[in-house]
Amino acid sequence: MNNSHPALPEFEYMKPASLADASKFLAEHPTDARPFMGGTDTFVRMRDGLLPMHTMVDVKVLEGMNQIKFDSATGLTIGAAVCMNKVASHPDIRKYYPLLSQAAETVASYQLRSRATICGNICNASPAGDMIGACITMGGLLTVHGVNGFRKESLTTFFLGPGKTVLKPGDIVTSISFPLLPAKSAGKYRKLGRNTLSDLSIVGVTVFAYADAKAASGYKFKLALASVAPVTFVPVKAEEILSGKAINADSLEEAAQAAMDAVTPIDDVRGSARYRKYMVRNLVKETVTEVWKQLTK
Amino acid sequence: MSYHRITLTVNGTKEQVDVPSNMTLLRMIREKLALTGTKNGCAAGECGACTVLMNGEPVNSCMVLAAECDGANIVTVEGLAKDHQLDPIQETMMSSGGVQCGFCTPGILVTARALLDRNPNPSENEIREALVGNLCRCTGYIRIIDAVKKASHAEAR
Amino acid sequence: MPTKQSDNPIAPVGDSVVRLDARAKVTGSAIFADDFQFGPNLLHARVVRSPHPMALIKKVDTSEAESMPGVKGIVTGKDFDGMLGLYLTDRYILCRDRVRYVGDAVAVVAAETVEIAEEAVKKVKVEYEVLPPVLDPEEGIKPSATVVHPDLGNYAYPNFIFPEAGTNIANRFKVRKGDVDDGFKKCAAIVERKYRVPHIQHVPIEPHVSVAKWDEDGHITLWTSSQSPFAQRNLIAKALHVSQGSVEVIAPYVGGGFGAKAGVSMESLAVVVASKTKGRPVKLVLTREEEFHAAFCRQGLVAFYKMGCDKDGNLIAVDNQYYWDAGAYTEYGVNITRASGYSSTGPYRVPNVRVDSLCVYTNHPVGGPMRGFGMPEIHVGLEQCMDDLAHEIKMDPYEFRKKNCVKEGDIIVTGMKMHPTGLSKCIDEVAKAIDWGKKEPATAPNKRRGKGMAIMWKAPAMPPNAGSSAEVKFNEDGTVDVAIGGQELGQGTFTVMAQMVASALGIPYEWVRISTPIDTKFSPYEWQTVASRLTWSMGNAVRLAALDARKQIIDLVSKAWNEDPNNLDIRNGVVVSYKTEETLPLKDTVIYGIPKENYNGWMGGPVVGRGSFMPTYVTGLDKDTGQGERAVVHYTTGCQAVDLEVDIETGKLDIIKAVSAFDVGKAINPDMVRGQMEGGFVMGMSTGYFEAMRLKGGVMQNPSFVDYRIATSSDIPQKIESIIVEVAQDDGPWGARGIGEHSMVPTVPAIGNAIFDAIGIRVGDPPFSAEKVYLAMMDAGIVK
Repeated sequence: MNNSHPALPEFEYMKPASLADASKFLAEHPTDARPFMGGTDTFVRMRDGLLPMHTMVDVKVLEGMNQIKFDSATGLTIGAAVCMNKVASHPDIRKYYPLLSQAAETVASYQLRSRATICGNICNASPAGDMIGACITMGGLLTVHGVNGFRKESLTTFFLGPGKTVLKPGDIVTSISFPLLPAKSAGKYRKLGRNTLSDLSIVGVTVFAYADAKAASGYKFKLALASVAPVTFVPVKAEEILSGKAINADSLEEAAQAAMDAVTPIDDVRGSARYRKYMVRNLVKETVTEVWKQLTK
Repeated sequence: MSYHRITLTVNGTKEQVDVPSNMTLLRMIREKLALTGTKNGCAAGECGACTVLMNGEPVNSCMVLAAECDGANIVTVEGLAKDHQLDPIQETMMSSGGVQCGFCTPGILVTARALLDRNPNPSENEIREALVGNLCRCTGYIRIIDAVKKASHAEAR
Repeated sequence: MPTKQSDNPIAPVGDSVVRLDARAKVTGSAIFADDFQFGPNLLHARVVRSPHPMALIKKVDTSEAESMPGVKGIVTGKDFDGMLGLYLTDRYILCRDRVRYVGDAVAVVAAETVEIAEEAVKKVKVEYEVLPPVLDPEEGIKPSATVVHPDLGNYAYPNFIFPEAGTNIANRFKVRKGDVDDGFKKCAAIVERKYRVPHIQHVPIEPHVSVAKWDEDGHITLWTSSQSPFAQRNLIAKALHVSQGSVEVIAPYVGGGFGAKAGVSMESLAVVVASKTKGRPVKLVLTREEEFHAAFCRQGLVAFYKMGCDKDGNLIAVDNQYYWDAGAYTEYGVNITRASGYSSTGPYRVPNVRVDSLCVYTNHPVGGPMRGFGMPEIHVGLEQCMDDLAHEIKMDPYEFRKKNCVKEGDIIVTGMKMHPTGLSKCIDEVAKAIDWGKKEPATAPNKRRGKGMAIMWKAPAMPPNAGSSAEVKFNEDGTVDVAIGGQELGQGTFTVMAQMVASALGIPYEWVRISTPIDTKFSPYEWQTVASRLTWSMGNAVRLAALDARKQIIDLVSKAWNEDPNNLDIRNGVVVSYKTEETLPLKDTVIYGIPKENYNGWMGGPVVGRGSFMPTYVTGLDKDTGQGERAVVHYTTGCQAVDLEVDIETGKLDIIKAVSAFDVGKAINPDMVRGQMEGGFVMGMSTGYFEAMRLKGGVMQNPSFVDYRIATSSDIPQKIESIIVEVAQDDGPWGARGIGEHSMVPTVPAIGNAIFDAIGIRVGDPPFSAEKVYLAMMDAGIVK
């Protein structure tokens, strides 16, 4: 039986003056306080009775949270509170990190993207998180402020399970940064939902590739799969095939099959495990082919 | 639960409101300001009936806390017309037959207004994409999309 | 001499005028039920609901909840012993001795804030004794099944419903016509199929909302989003053992109904808790989650089809069984069983028919009226079977339908003679518009393209004596206020009625206002806004009321001018004499009358026109054979076809073109008729692609928009064409009949037939999700 509230349950709203204050408060209230940015995941879970919280800590206007900085020497930094619409439309991101913009455009609706954030998507740690694949494949690095100050967290070790990350009470993600991408690179996020647009993914395939003279195929492929495992899944064998062999119809099929064999999706209300596995195969093949065509244009 | 005093602009008018922490922007608009044009359809950010402009961008007001809106500029459906002169998108929505029950209409109009503001000449696909967060059960969307196209042509003149 | 403004002599009937509520709706000023302002006195209600699909109630303890500060009233089933029911009276307002579905209402709490009400709900303690639930209608008819309504034998019901006491069968409709067994022997081809159509929900964008006030003097006021103010008043008054006159239902614009807001679903809950709040109004708004499963839904269907034809493609015999998964209460749903029985063959001429349509109680959400009222559900299988049968004898499905579809004079399934109908024309128009017979190339290597069509019929399903009435009254300036009891749900009722009054009276469309909200105290009676009946039934009443007013005016002026009334007319708000060319504007006359010569007295007075309509010719049907002279008032018929592609990599469907044609008799407002065709198609398409209430153990697994998906702007066909066919309804206003429901009836089978044309297989039961299509292709070896 469903326990949704008509609107939001009772809680306190708090706007801390600084990151230090925020981390301190959150660490002191590990079970009944929580940071929020756009709220698009958080509020839904609260309304469903899944996140009973006494205090919601608004961290949106704290230092570094609203920046978008591209530096041609060091790369891109996006503040944690920057909404997805901004990521989708920012000229530097569209030009230098187009996969990030394109993935952002697939999320939910324009209204939700006015509020939803990349870092929120990451911290929510849903296996279906649309932005996570793009961030992992492009080497995204989180800056986290905690009770001991700032630190970096790599996305490769960040996710522990559905809804679970390495973050501790007091931790607030303040930005995500990406290294400069190789000169010749291309990427695509292919999302399969029930509706043509706006749904959560039944399967989500991220492909990011770049020219790499050291690779036997001449190219390095980075793949990430959503909604087919407890966390965003990197099909390593498939990546190795695409880096190790000449890219042609056979190696594409082999890589797609390897990805299909590697994933362990579940049956849920959105799709069955059986269908998901086939979709991994078909969409990896389709997306890798498309990225490959872009790269070799 | 504590109250927060916020000052914000709604449809061009400055308002000062005391809101409890958990009050959404939607509830504040409807209950504190008696602006009932904006509707409650799902309280979960899925149907878009609650769409308003917040600092120029469409948001689901059921998913924004009123307490976050100190200093914000809010436009609701009631703020689209100027001095009783309807916005072109309101005119075309009427003449195209894009209104049936009217419950999704305020949210649609606000979303469409924002689309035309940022993209004055949208393609059919861009219109469909922009409206994907506004559910309509009556019209099948066809005349709604048509109304947006007609408004963009009207504004181009 | 005033001239007509357009070439249309009956204008504005037949004109696509802009709807009269459009401006209110685009400015956000249109009032819906949640928009009424009640001030600080308003209380808020929440409902204690059963978590079990079937259980006895052992104890309800509200003491802790009642002692909470801010709680102003709590009611439980023991407070109210009356029963509700539109057809079969099977439902207590609040559960008394047992609960029958997850969500069944056990108690209602009213409190100062919705948060306090929620907390109080949590504190109400209910002890249950869980019983094994009935979760399938085929199981439900077995002797071993739990009897969901042991008291079925004591319930009141009308003489056209046949409940079987001691069982879970709330109604059974039988057709026995001709000799099916003999008929099948003569068949060259026979098709037998089973289809399971899942429960779906109406998903009005506006959830149910009711505000109730129970005054100390016993007067009850209910402000509610409602398709049926009079029926709600009637049912609630009867359940409370009070006069209909002491219950006042006020119904403003409805933000989508589709049947969800007909009859009584949650309105009575607000009323009963208001009995405890000493005259303070109480508001109950359903959350979207509650909307999905706790008010009305569309019942599920398990259907068996068997049909056969001869080698020339003549339909010989149909033998269908419909098992309706009707849910916990069937007070309304019993009639869906009946309607699907008397229309059970689809719009075809078949000499031999055996049908059993059973309404089976299950411990599932309550099946109520939903757009189509059984027709979309049965046509899913009917129209796919007809295609399969045509394929069996290698006949074009279009030719098969042309041959067998009902035509004027045919004796249909109940023995009724079919009235004039444009169904054949609809089929031809659709075939032409979709380029039937032309194989279109797929647009990409991973696509397979196909076309499919389906036809339909539906009659307004209602008691034989469902009535309408209307009043037309004037203002001093000649403008008119029309009082009706039917509701504007978005389908355009108010506009169409205004057009009718303007045309019948002879005044401009802009002079006509419709009085809203409907208020049962002031508005004239209307049975319900359902069944696609208003254009026809209320239209007749409205037209008669306008003609009545017209006659009063003409009679008065003819007396004043000493002229034959046949020489007089009202055109554009002015009374004119064709003989003398004298004119007199309606202004003032319609209120103040006309002075006699030299002001030696006065004639006339305030003009009020009234009209009433009730069909008189519907006959009963034999209980054992389903035969009778006139089963229904009339049928609206139509056809849809789609040209679609299947993506063989994902199973996703994309409709390139969708075409509809419906015989509406007379399109009072052609653009709005097309709007119904478009909206109905997309709603039907949405149910075909996405929609199912996933019920597991009686619990809905997807009660939110996150996982109950409906069509968005990104899912609609690339092109949609809507064709109006007009074969007049003999007793319809200007020949009109309804269209509101029909446009979603053939949609799912049209899509199913197109999929078959594209990939050569049937993919199973709806919804035809991408997964279902893909895995069907995989299992059939079409993809690897």
